[in-house]
Amino acid sequence: MPLRLVAPEWSLLVPPLIVLGTIVLLLAIDAVSERTARRFALPLALAGQLLALGSLASIDWGQGATTFGVSYRADWFALVVSLIALVAGILSVLVSAGYTESGLEPGVGLAEYLALLLFSVLGTMVVGAAGDFLVLLLGLEMSAVAVYALTAFARRRLTSVEGALKYFLLGAFASAILIYGMAWIYGLTGSIKLSDIAYTLRTVVIPGQPVDPALLLALLLLAVGLGFKIAAVPFHMWTPDAYQGAPTPVSAYMSVVPKVAGFAAVARILVQGLQPLSDQWAGLLALLALVTMVYGNVVAIAQRDLKRMLGYSAIGHTGYMLAGLAAFTTGLAGDRSVGSVLFYLFAYTFMNIGAFGVIAWLQERGLGTTLDDVAGLAGRAPLAALTMAIFMLSLMGMPPLLGFYAKYYVILALIEAGQLWLAVAIVVMSAVSASFYLRVITQMYFQEPGGTWRPVRTPLLGLGLAVMAAATLALGLVSGPILELAQRWPAALT
Amino acid sequence: MSELSATHFLLLSAALFIIGMVGVLTRRNVLVIFMCIELMLNAVNVSLIGFAWELHQLTGQVFALFVIAIAAAEAVVGLGIVMALTRRADTVDIDELRQLRE
Repeated sequence: MPLRLVAPEWSLLVPPLIVLGTIVLLLAIDAVSERTARRFALPLALAGQLLALGSLASIDWGQGATTFGVSYRADWFALVVSLIALVAGILSVLVSAGYTESGLEPGVGLAEYLALLLFSVLGTMVVGAAGDFLVLLLGLEMSAVAVYALTAFARRRLTSVEGALKYFLLGAFASAILIYGMAWIYGLTGSIKLSDIAYTLRTVVIPGQPVDPALLLALLLLAVGLGFKIAAVPFHMWTPDAYQGAPTPVSAYMSVVPKVAGFAAVARILVQGLQPLSDQWAGLLALLALVTMVYGNVVAIAQRDLKRMLGYSAIGHTGYMLAGLAAFTTGLAGDRSVGSVLFYLFAYTFMNIGAFGVIAWLQERGLGTTLDDVAGLAGRAPLAALTMAIFMLSLMGMPPLLGFYAKYYVILALIEAGQLWLAVAIVVMSAVSASFYLRVITQMYFQEPGGTWRPVRTPLLGLGLAVMAAATLALGLVSGPILELAQRWPAALT
Repeated sequence: MSELSATHFLLLSAALFIIGMVGVLTRRNVLVIFMCIELMLNAVNVSLIGFAWELHQLTGQVFALFVIAIAAAEAVVGLGIVMALTRRADTVDIDELRQLRE
């Protein structure tokens, strides 16, 4: 067979290429001089991502065009994942502004920090657009490996290195399991292309008949590998340590974007590639969802450290999102499962980066990260306390905040799929979660302040917090267009 | 002597993978754990090449090359973290790392 080379459709690749170009520029100005880097790195990272965000409009996503064969797909699903990744990237850069201005040691580059962050955003965009296992794996690893390095960025602090080490070891372990699962699917179907895998499986898997045990083993390996990536119980052990140990802006980032990459991978692999096996994986995901949301929310109650508490709360939110995926029914228009999860990830971006952002804001002012440190915040900084209260209430699911709508759409999808028990579990667990979210609010409003308070100006961080608080307050009421976009996923994945 | 078949590749691969997995779960030395993860990744490569051989395709072999590249990238970051750790804590025992507890 003669080798035929086809030029890729470059116009489909514009958004990720802009992010890649920004990374190259960041590393280039870092090489020029440290002074140039300190001056231009932050505006450059923001401008590059805003430009990439704007360039999303230049592509006609409805066509579902592909390039590099079918390995790279520009479909609705890719659009929504890119959108969330870039918004989260921009907000994370704003949250990092305070840290990078005052917290960096000499010799540790601001440009390096931002380049790593953008690498992770780029990887997440690639996962969203992946059409085969190889592209998906490369995106997933790009998104994760950059964050291992970011977690250890405060390298003089042992907790930072310890969190990074645990994150790295379990992440690499999970990757090995995931790739083994991919290898078995490849061996059994003869292809690594998601559309070909779905096609072959449809001829092999007959409803009502027992499934080839090798296929079930492959499915199990994939589920375990992906479970680590999204921090589902019982594969969550790294999460609280990594969130607590990492520099706070990195915790903000890693609580959202690698999770978006993980859920995008779950959707691409299970919903698109292994759709004929949906009877098998939907039950598995429902079980994981229940265990994950119960464990995360119950253990969060006992936490005194806010970053650790948010780590366990993030596990709880993973449970809610897994429940959304478990609501998968037919994969045709009208199936709300994946769309509800995409909307949840969108909402989660604002409220979770925001909550970590307020902690970063407090740390800039000389406070720690425990519950005692937020005591009496309402008297000292009423606006910051109000902002934190908005994020806490939204994470809890209080109407009419964004977090309420996120949970509402997941519950709606579950009811339509006939999984009432999971919908009830979400409501019960939201009530349980009130105990630790509301405790932060009572600490801020009804306690006397302690510790030393060092007033400083952090304009960019403040801007980021204002944007996220406004989005959390208002976007829920105008969630229609975003939800409509997210619900177009069946055209992309089936 | 019977001829080699894909089953031989897969059995070798499964054995290596399980040895690596048991190592990750039981060993306490960070570097040994990391070596076991590398063993698991290479076990996957044996599987990929075995399947590619059986299917008469190049895809699996190319995939294995990319897995090697990914393993290299992970090694760079992972060993960097271990370096930072030994400078701070002077230990490579995962059980002695318990600063992060409530």
